Amino acid sequence: MAGFTDYKKTIMDAAHNDRIRLALSRAIASYRSNRNTALEKFPHTIKMAEEVLEMKVRTIGDMEGLAQEAIEAIESNKGHGYIARTAEDALKIIGDLVGKDKLIVKGKSMTSEEIELRQHLEKMGNEVFETDLGEYIIQQLDSKPMHILSPAIHVPKEDVAELFSKITGKEMPPEDIENMVATARELLRDKFFKADIGISGANVVAAETGTLFMIENEGNIRLSTGAPPVHIALVGMEKLVPTLGDAYKVAEVTWRYANYTVPSYVSMVSGPSKTGDIEKVITYGAHGPKEFHVIFLDDGRTELAKDPVLRQALYCLRCGGCLYECPVFAVTAGHFGDKYFTGIGAVWAAKVSGDPEKAASLAYTCLTCGRCKVKCPMEIDVPQMIIELRRSLLEDDDTEKPA
Amino acid sequence: MANKKFLPPGLTYLADNIISRNNLLGASRGAGAKWAKGLNLPKESETIFFAGCGYQYTGELNSLMSLIRKIDKGGISTEMTMNLANFQKKLGLDVGGLYSKVMSRGGDAEAQPLRDAVNVLKKLGLEFGYLAEDEPCCGGLLHYIGMQKEFNAHSREVYGSLKPRGVKRIISIIPSCTNTLRNLIPGSIGGEGLEVKHFTEVVLENIGSIEMRFPRKVRLAYHDPCQLARNLGLVDEPRQILGAIENLELVEPEWTTGDCTTCCGGGGGFEAVFPELSEILATNRARELVEAGVDIIVTQCPGCVMQLKSGVKELNAKGIEVLDLAQIVATAMGV
Repeated sequence: MAGFTDYKKTIMDAAHNDRIRLALSRAIASYRSNRNTALEKFPHTIKMAEEVLEMKVRTIGDMEGLAQEAIEAIESNKGHGYIARTAEDALKIIGDLVGKDKLIVKGKSMTSEEIELRQHLEKMGNEVFETDLGEYIIQQLDSKPMHILSPAIHVPKEDVAELFSKITGKEMPPEDIENMVATARELLRDKFFKADIGISGANVVAAETGTLFMIENEGNIRLSTGAPPVHIALVGMEKLVPTLGDAYKVAEVTWRYANYTVPSYVSMVSGPSKTGDIEKVITYGAHGPKEFHVIFLDDGRTELAKDPVLRQALYCLRCGGCLYECPVFAVTAGHFGDKYFTGIGAVWAAKVSGDPEKAASLAYTCLTCGRCKVKCPMEIDVPQMIIELRRSLLEDDDTEKPA
Repeated sequence: MANKKFLPPGLTYLADNIISRNNLLGASRGAGAKWAKGLNLPKESETIFFAGCGYQYTGELNSLMSLIRKIDKGGISTEMTMNLANFQKKLGLDVGGLYSKVMSRGGDAEAQPLRDAVNVLKKLGLEFGYLAEDEPCCGGLLHYIGMQKEFNAHSREVYGSLKPRGVKRIISIIPSCTNTLRNLIPGSIGGEGLEVKHFTEVVLENIGSIEMRFPRKVRLAYHDPCQLARNLGLVDEPRQILGAIENLELVEPEWTTGDCTTCCGGGGGFEAVFPELSEILATNRARELVEAGVDIIVTQCPGCVMQLKSGVKELNAKGIEVLDLAQIVATAMGV
């Protein structure tokens, strides 16, 4: 099939690209050392991860109920909540809220990559800026993210310097990373304050209060979700957990396994900005957004939760740790992937994107070596899922009649 | 014949070999049993030594892989829809001719780990047999590539051929076969499994106070095969054995050891789908081990041995040997 041949060519081109390998080998070495330091300093994280897994196993079958509960809470906080059954539904809801000719600032979100939200809004006639530095670089390079937390992981500093030199018209030496960061800050600064709308994802959502937790280091999410008059959040339904306590645990486990002792910022957002300071009259849109919208995306997730083996994919906290452990990812980066990467990405391709050919290509690229499972805080058994996925792809194929 | 839309052609080929010829490489039955000539192993025994396809057909595997790699690099596209006949035609593959060439150069040197393992087990005073040309392929690959129905049928055949012979215990040397015989087959067909142990476990249980001394001082790195470390949990056992051998200094690569071992790039048929990528991964793993500063890389899986040898060669790391643990133990016992 042409699809597989093209895919294999992409994979092999990546594997022969020394810059990808160089960037990744630097990243892997530093990730392993930072992760160990973080876990040694806060050893309780391991026990906490077990509690989160137990909670995920217990609640993943009830995403629908949790979404309803969260929407109720958000509405009572004077925000708006929605369930989008498909990617198209989500694009329609967000498109209707946004309209056209708007300036939009965006935080990094894999879920928005999943439904290609930025491209959709641009097509509608809006100007959209990715504000995470890595994601900004990717957007300017017209490339695609290659890691869930570090989207520009495959781009070495030399290429970033070249890009920024081109944008600013000023020569930028590749050693001067500080200068590159300052340049991005300068380029984006006024966008945050001029923007009509800020868009974000969320790392975890507490259903009981409708509270979104957003973990970050750069501060771009605080600005994107705080400065513009409207905040729209797109969240995969698997991010819902019952209580604030559960959500806190998920957040701490996520950042720790993402190799941080603690991130610079964790934002908790439950509704629009408000004040009662003048005669106790509650008025919305004080310094923060006046409008707050949360779209919970199903897109195959509630179906996936019914599969006894593949449902493990929904336990994923997106810490990104597994990617550093995958020997294939180490030489191909996100080219071994679709919307999500490596072996677990094959499950998403099959069940969320509904693309069996892509899923098969990815499923047979997985070594089933199982090192990701050893390192996963949710103990997600990727080899088991891959073998089950292969089986279901081949057996679904068996039932097909010859043309 | 397996002809499935989503199954990559290299895997179709290997699966067909298991189903139609009862070995992974499609060689003639019995060709793999030559290594045991002169070892006087009985066919009838309650305990059998299970040699597996890997080492018995390493010569064939090497030849096939080098051919597949050449073709893969040559840029001939491999479409997913190709069936066995097309695949062979496209590869220009004459399996019979290829294998007779391997045999004619007397090439069963690759089976040395099997002879060494048998001699070690004998030295430990164990009694066991070997099924020779009647040894079935464990069929594990069928499970891994998603052909579960075929694996279930094959599993019934495997246990169906072993149990009526009165086989009660299996000593298996290949990690993947061990996991298949011990866990996957009983899981597939139900009922009670046979007692299956890996060579490492049997050696450690019976080693007692036998003196082991390597003839020269060497630094050695142990490469944990994925199946052994992560599926069978045998991480400390091989290290205990190596630790009991005089003159060996065991060094470990930083991070990538034990259950965090790096895959050699040759797992579960991957090498037949992505031959060139598999070679790159082999070189990467070999680099991690070579950088630990060693004279010998020791492991326990024919796939890993083949991959790491290719990696060491690619790195031009002259003088570094890649051996199976059985070879080290045999040398240290002087058998």
